[in-house]
Amino acid sequence: MVAHLLSLRWRVMLNGFRRSTWQIVAACLGALYGLGVLVLLVGGLFALSFAPERWAWTVAVLGGTVAVVGWVVVPLLLSGVDQTLSIAKLRAFPIPADRLLVALLVCGVLGVPGVVTLVAGVAAGLSWWQHPLSLLAAVAFGVVGVLTCVAGSRALESLTSSLGAHRRYREVMGVLVFIPLILAGPLIIVASTGLSSLGDDLPEIARVLSFTPVGAAWSVPGDLALGRPGEALAKAAIALATLALLVLLWRVGLRRALVASPGAAATGSAKGLGPFRWFPATPTGAVAARTAVYWLRDPRYGGSLVIVPLLPVLAVFLAATTDSDWLLYALGPAIAALLAVTLCADVSYDGTAFAAHLSTGVSGRADRAGRVITLSLFAVPIVVLATVVPLAVLGELELAPALLGAGLGVMLTGFGVSSVASTRFLMPVPAAGESPFKSPQGASLTSMLGMYAAWALSFAFALPELVLAGVALAQGSLALGVAALVVGVVLGSVLLVVGVVRGGASLDARAPELLARLRRAKGA
Amino acid sequence: MTDDGRPEPPSPTGAPASAAVPAPGPVPAGTSSAAPALRVEGLRKAFGQKVAVDGLDLVVPTGSFYGLVGPNGAGKTTTLSMATGLLRPDAGTIEVLGADVWRDPVRAKSLVGVLSDGVALFDRLTGEQLVTYHGLLNGMDRATTAERVADLLELLDLRDAGGTLVVDYSAGMTKKVALACALVHAPRLLVLDEPFESVDPISAANIRDILHGYVDGGGTVIVSSHSMDLVQRMCDHVAVVASGRVLAAGTTDEVRAGSSLEDRFVELVGGRQHNQGPSWLRTS
Repeated sequence: MVAHLLSLRWRVMLNGFRRSTWQIVAACLGALYGLGVLVLLVGGLFALSFAPERWAWTVAVLGGTVAVVGWVVVPLLLSGVDQTLSIAKLRAFPIPADRLLVALLVCGVLGVPGVVTLVAGVAAGLSWWQHPLSLLAAVAFGVVGVLTCVAGSRALESLTSSLGAHRRYREVMGVLVFIPLILAGPLIIVASTGLSSLGDDLPEIARVLSFTPVGAAWSVPGDLALGRPGEALAKAAIALATLALLVLLWRVGLRRALVASPGAAATGSAKGLGPFRWFPATPTGAVAARTAVYWLRDPRYGGSLVIVPLLPVLAVFLAATTDSDWLLYALGPAIAALLAVTLCADVSYDGTAFAAHLSTGVSGRADRAGRVITLSLFAVPIVVLATVVPLAVLGELELAPALLGAGLGVMLTGFGVSSVASTRFLMPVPAAGESPFKSPQGASLTSMLGMYAAWALSFAFALPELVLAGVALAQGSLALGVAALVVGVVLGSVLLVVGVVRGGASLDARAPELLARLRRAKGA
Repeated sequence: MTDDGRPEPPSPTGAPASAAVPAPGPVPAGTSSAAPALRVEGLRKAFGQKVAVDGLDLVVPTGSFYGLVGPNGAGKTTTLSMATGLLRPDAGTIEVLGADVWRDPVRAKSLVGVLSDGVALFDRLTGEQLVTYHGLLNGMDRATTAERVADLLELLDLRDAGGTLVVDYSAGMTKKVALACALVHAPRLLVLDEPFESVDPISAANIRDILHGYVDGGGTVIVSSHSMDLVQRMCDHVAVVASGRVLAAGTTDEVRAGSSLEDRFVELVGGRQHNQGPSWLRTS
């Protein structure tokens, strides 16, 4: 049974590579990268054996804690990272819960992330080769630590799965939990300025963590080497109790999940026609209304915007903690650049539902225009506000025309460019209903290049207003700034209309081929 | 003219909307009434090495209730996709009431209502929004759309579910709302790919009544189905398709030639195996 599930899991993964050559290339690159990191890690752990024991202990506890937290948190974020052995699929088979638990535990350890964690965890023993007792303890508790990772991740998953059965809840959480993650990177950079002082605190932090369930297992060998057998014993007990408790929790969750009904509960209703009432009753208006509903209701759309409200937060934080307020000035143009190419993925988000546009014979121009109208309705005010408000607060409103010209110019141009681009290539996107941050399979190189090309083209076409704005800012000239604003809005609007017309013609000519590719992307 | 240069829809107000069963719109100018509802000649489509449709010819007379039957992988869905402008054929011509689907797509598509198998719907819309969307995409005005959406939801027993997101519908309800989308612009020809799959018997009977009423009103219906019984009872014409070709076509009585359609189908297509399965599957 255990062997069957394990071989099934690897079989599914290997078969996944057969779908395209590029996926094999991507997997090989990923494997090489992972191997490199692993070799560096093992080498580093070995090198630590020549440093004072205190260092090796600090590194082991901190690294181990990060691993456990990562194992528990990441699956919550990326719902459906590995659904090969999801309980929903295994429910139909007559497998006793306890045996399934053992099988899933083994499969978890022997999957790709599991093997990496296991190698790193056991390799921590290399730091202690000069202390035989610690070496043994490191190997043993390395395994305990890895099992804790897997059991913790599975336990939390099976406990939250009943909570996550409500679609709307899942969708909102899927977006919300990513906010701290997106902020984490910049925050770390900001915090790293103060890291020199933090360096002295690291052993103290490690000491606190080593008494918690997430860090205990990793601390045992170091405590032995540092001559603290009592503490080592206590932490060993904590680690084992943690593992036992997690397995118990997991077992409860698994038993419940195995008999739960597979169907998700139905959700909300009502609300009449909504946006279909607000927009004019034409094909263009209908597309705009439908897109508006999707911006509000489909987490994949909202997910692509989650960075927009975070940028101001980051800018204010940066300005408050350090003295650099450049991001406050650049806020509007930065958001404009981000929003400029969001339309590239629009047809891909439709999926095969795009067939409706084809079978009703709606013109490509109406399709393009409708999508642009809805996006412009909120993107233009956002960019104007994000440019003017910070400048007003800083008392430098005379810079507003130049920055507005650059921002609006790039964005309107980008709308035009992506209206054409999204008829030429499909972005690999998660299917409707999946986590908006799940990286879809078969992300092909060409479509990523296509998106960057669209971006580059938007900037290239917007060069006149960008140059004018740059000169205006450098010379502090209000007249040149106003010129940049006029050029940006006029040229941007013209390019937008050209993009919609050409994109529409391109869509009319290529829509059946686009639909055929959407069907393939769906895996039909 | 509508805002994007499309011609006027076939019948924004012409159909008797008060009738319980939607009637097809009047024959638009420029289409010859003598032309068959659908004429397919020499249709061919290959996916890589695999030939899905191989020189298929089919004539569907106006006013007929036409069944398309065939084994899995026979090319039914591929043929219907090409006939409705969703998939570009490698060769061959397709005309809807005299309008070439691939040379004059806008006119041809305004005459056809489509229910496709295996494509998603815009399922984050409510049922009411989805049918409204299809109506507006066809260039209908707001008042007509609203009236017909209400009629169709009532007719298909979806009125209570009109405010629910389509993603939360059952499989049968999804089929029904897709049918409403196909009917909303009062097409002259309805192309339905597996319309009865996972629809409960009562809804299926209701849908059959609607389709019969539509045919009596002068419309033409093409359905593909696996259910021989259903096709034999429901359709007045039938074509048997296998390996991308038409094996037999004509009125249902002609094709079944005295025996039941199912027996005739098995005889034409072949491949029936006479065995009782492995011995361990028998309990006694």
